Amino acid sequence: MNIEEALMTSNAYYAGEFDAAVVGAGHAGCEAAHACAKLGLNTVLFTLHLDSIANLPCNPSIGGTAKGQLVREIDALGGIMGKVADRCCIQMRMLNRSKGPAVYSPRAQMDRNSYSHAMKCLLEKTDNLLIRQAHITHLLTDNGKVCGVMTESHAVYRASRVVICSGTYMESRTIRGEVIALTGPDGLSRSVGLSSSLADAGVPLLRFKTGTPVRVNGRTVDYDKLTRQDGEHDVPPFSYDNEMRGGKVPEEQVPCWSVWTTDETREVIEANMDRSPLYSGVITGIGPRYCPSIEDKFMRFADKNRHQIFVEPLGRDTEEMYLQGFSTSLPEEIQIKMVRSLPGLENAHIQRSAYAIEYDLVDPLSVRPTLESKIVGGLYTAGQINGSSGYEEAAGQGIIAGINAALSFLGREELILDRSQAYIGVLIDDLVTKGTQEPYRMMTSRAEYRLFLRQDNCDARLTPIGHMVGLVDDERFALYEEKQRRIEEEKDRLASTFIAPSDELAALLESVGSVRPPSGISLAELIKRPQVSYELLAPVDKERKPLSDDVIFAVQTDIKYEGYLKLEKDKIAKFSELENKKLPQDIDYEAIGGLRLEAGQKLNKMRPENVGQASRISGVSPADIQVLLVYLELKKRKDKDGGQ
Amino acid sequence: MSMAVSDNRPFCACSTPPGTSGIAMIRVSGEGAGKILDRCVKIIRTSSDATSVSQMPGYTSAYADFFDPANGNSIDKIIITRYVAPHSYTGSEMADISCHGGSAVKQEILSVLTDNGMRYADPGEFTKTAFAMGKLDINEAEAVMNVINAESSAALRAANSQLNGRLSSRLAEAEERLYRAMALIEMIVEFPEHDDTPENDDEVVRLTRQARDITASLRDSYAKGRILTESMRVVLCGMPNSGKSSLLNALAGYDRAIVTDIPGTTRDTLELLTQINGIPVTLIDTAGIRQTGDKVEAIGVERARKACDEADIVVYLAACDENEEEILRQMRELYSGKDNSNVTLVFSKSDLGINPGSERIKAEAKSLGITSVAEVSTDGDGITGAGTEPVRQIITEFYEKAGGSNSSEIIVLAKRHSDLLASATERLDMALATAEGGLGVDIMSSVIRASLDDIGKITGKTVSVQLADTIFAGFCIGK
Repeated sequence: MNIEEALMTSNAYYAGEFDAAVVGAGHAGCEAAHACAKLGLNTVLFTLHLDSIANLPCNPSIGGTAKGQLVREIDALGGIMGKVADRCCIQMRMLNRSKGPAVYSPRAQMDRNSYSHAMKCLLEKTDNLLIRQAHITHLLTDNGKVCGVMTESHAVYRASRVVICSGTYMESRTIRGEVIALTGPDGLSRSVGLSSSLADAGVPLLRFKTGTPVRVNGRTVDYDKLTRQDGEHDVPPFSYDNEMRGGKVPEEQVPCWSVWTTDETREVIEANMDRSPLYSGVITGIGPRYCPSIEDKFMRFADKNRHQIFVEPLGRDTEEMYLQGFSTSLPEEIQIKMVRSLPGLENAHIQRSAYAIEYDLVDPLSVRPTLESKIVGGLYTAGQINGSSGYEEAAGQGIIAGINAALSFLGREELILDRSQAYIGVLIDDLVTKGTQEPYRMMTSRAEYRLFLRQDNCDARLTPIGHMVGLVDDERFALYEEKQRRIEEEKDRLASTFIAPSDELAALLESVGSVRPPSGISLAELIKRPQVSYELLAPVDKERKPLSDDVIFAVQTDIKYEGYLKLEKDKIAKFSELENKKLPQDIDYEAIGGLRLEAGQKLNKMRPENVGQASRISGVSPADIQVLLVYLELKKRKDKDGGQ
Repeated sequence: MSMAVSDNRPFCACSTPPGTSGIAMIRVSGEGAGKILDRCVKIIRTSSDATSVSQMPGYTSAYADFFDPANGNSIDKIIITRYVAPHSYTGSEMADISCHGGSAVKQEILSVLTDNGMRYADPGEFTKTAFAMGKLDINEAEAVMNVINAESSAALRAANSQLNGRLSSRLAEAEERLYRAMALIEMIVEFPEHDDTPENDDEVVRLTRQARDITASLRDSYAKGRILTESMRVVLCGMPNSGKSSLLNALAGYDRAIVTDIPGTTRDTLELLTQINGIPVTLIDTAGIRQTGDKVEAIGVERARKACDEADIVVYLAACDENEEEILRQMRELYSGKDNSNVTLVFSKSDLGINPGSERIKAEAKSLGITSVAEVSTDGDGITGAGTEPVRQIITEFYEKAGGSNSSEIIVLAKRHSDLLASATERLDMALATAEGGLGVDIMSSVIRASLDDIGKITGKTVSVQLADTIFAGFCIGK
């Protein structure tokens, strides 16, 4: 349907023109709309409900392993998730402290309602951006290109760039035992019609499943029987901007709790498995392996007698508690028995039931690394609609989709982050190159260059890009450059400051189990020793000037990991060679002599952006890549000859 | 150069067919090739004033010594032809090395080149580079694309014939352990808040060590793999006039070596490729080893000692009419303090009867760890064809032991695989060292991943996909 046809439908009216329309105001949609507006596009953001903007319908937390890195990357690019999360944080921790800086991961508990409210307020105050509560039912296209959207009430909006971030709402249904409800998450209304509209435009669709646990009233929980887990204060905020301006995590933090399932839990589940929609076949969508329901855990891991459950607050003031690890799609009455089998929750009162949810999504193999559709020009998708799972994964795609929609509108060069630059790059490349069979969760082990993709250096990796794109303003960029200057100066100073093997130094080193150096040694060499920290050397490092924690951390990590980082950077240099060889979009791969038939077909279908991406497509061999390289060179020469 | 992919080190390959031949050619190409050759080639004679390869003008040749800079040992006398960019086949700096066609010589030269900064050429790479450097016209270049896949599938077929067998399952065992080790690390990393994630460093180290032992033993098995794919080197030695040349001729079935009864007739080593019971064997006849005043013969003796060191099998020939004391002295000199499991003591029987001192010589051999003893028959003209049967038997047995036909041992046959396994082993050693050094598991994991990348280049598996599957299959996690 195009604009004219849409306007012919009953009660239709023309509601105006925008440069960009974003459908869905979850974590992806908020970042996308913010990025478009910041880059100067006249932008509208549609949401099914204004009070559910940036909703956290599952876990009331942001960050965690790999996800914490994503939040900081989004912030380094000039996104908003980190800033809002810092404002609404009620508990902060740095996970993996004992496992090495490459896998340090910040994680924060959120005040769920504040988060949603703070994001709404921030967006309302953003120039060039308007928010509209509306149910988008139609994508309008003309000649294979997007031209607008239409609402349920037939308001027709014209826009040449549309970003769809439908989360789990498209044609969703929620399931508890035999009870199926045609709703989105949290009993909110779902999106109807939009996915048919996408299918009509030729976009291939998939159907996935995910789930969420129960919420209980904390006053009905006997915390004496639970294990308490407090937050930490020596963790930087998510946002580099906040960190550079001396921002801290909140003084007063709220605890989380943990508890183990019992034999009774297992018995209740086993006795009622016949009522599980997953096992009876009611649910057909594919669920995530890393986020199994509790009944799935007991069934698939029969040798494990118990599972750990975390009890997390939904806010600072509310009594509502979330039971992480206890997601289920068993019937409500069984859920009550299951919850009450947990120590300390014998009398727990459930405020919201657990449920499984099924939803439509786009096959990510039909999406380019810019997150523009290969099928409909000007259409971008981000978040769970592309097969991912998680708030942070959604937001990471949202900012890229928003940036690219804007850059394309402005006629500027598009932005693709590669696997060596960011977790966001790994995430998008995995989705659009390999596709996914289940909701995709970011994990640090998916990144080949994990030593380089750290939570502490997202700014060094991405802030210059954010500034070049236009999301990071000059003032913040100046702060960033100052920080980098301090890091480099201190590294140089430590490398060129030699100290004598004095008794004072020897005593200092012995106190941590290290030995006296045979002769004069640079401070940097000492810091390379596993036991020696920057702090430890303070008494013998007389010229040291006070530096902020973030600078010290960066300096220390760079020095300690120098050798390994160099190995990884060599690998990155090799990787980048293929990544930088662009493939023209008009190649007929099946006509290239020497390319195997299977490879030709796959490449014609996938249309990779560059030789690197082509090399990661299943069915394309290293020899095929060599052939492609020869072909590219040949083409270049022929073009050159033709031009003369 | 726009087409350099991922590795711009100069590359090398043997351009003549595998196996033993009179002369073989090794070709190297790439910027910096000359500098690397300077380290291992010493020019003896050439038409210009050049004293090193990189000083040689293009299109000139030199007679030179190729040696291993690591120990200074000479490997072969070569003729090297130099090409200067852009006037070469590939368009970049190039050299052709003509060497003796023994398989060990070729492999050693290639090993020295790769040890000193070159790498093996990919299938079709010389032609591809020639194209990239503008050396081929467009019509020729279009053929290149076909060549790459054709050569690559031939290489793949060769690899698959091994990989269908036990090598792949052995590698799978190493991979399985490494994935389990990594999954243990990754579980702790990805789901740190769970108290029930297995935090078991000992298990990680145990699995890594097991995998390391597998990759190391496969790497070492290439020593045997070379025997199977190229040929077995059988060195004949002993006192002058002990009948070595005679044995060589009998084994070969025709007169190759000059046989006289003047001791010291064979002054240099002589190589001969033949088949014994269907096994490709290079017979190496050496100068008789004795203290000598003759300068030419002294060089021959030195070469004979070296040939013995590099042999797969050494046949020590003791003739009946030789001075018993001399033989005993020489055996002690040659063999004491060495692993002599590949040495066979062979007595040549003659019309004169069995060597009277044979019992003493046997006892001496036994104390030196030489357990294999045989006899060959001679008549008036020397060793007879039928008389060589005991030696043929020993060669056959050794080949079988090396994994020839039905050994249970797994053997790596390709140099490329052996190199990848060496790299994987080195990284696993690094991983084990980081575990001891108290660095974070992030480093250990990164190094194990790199070793899996190496193994994956043989098995064709991609690390990240396998890893996620291992994590999900083995552990119960999530919200």
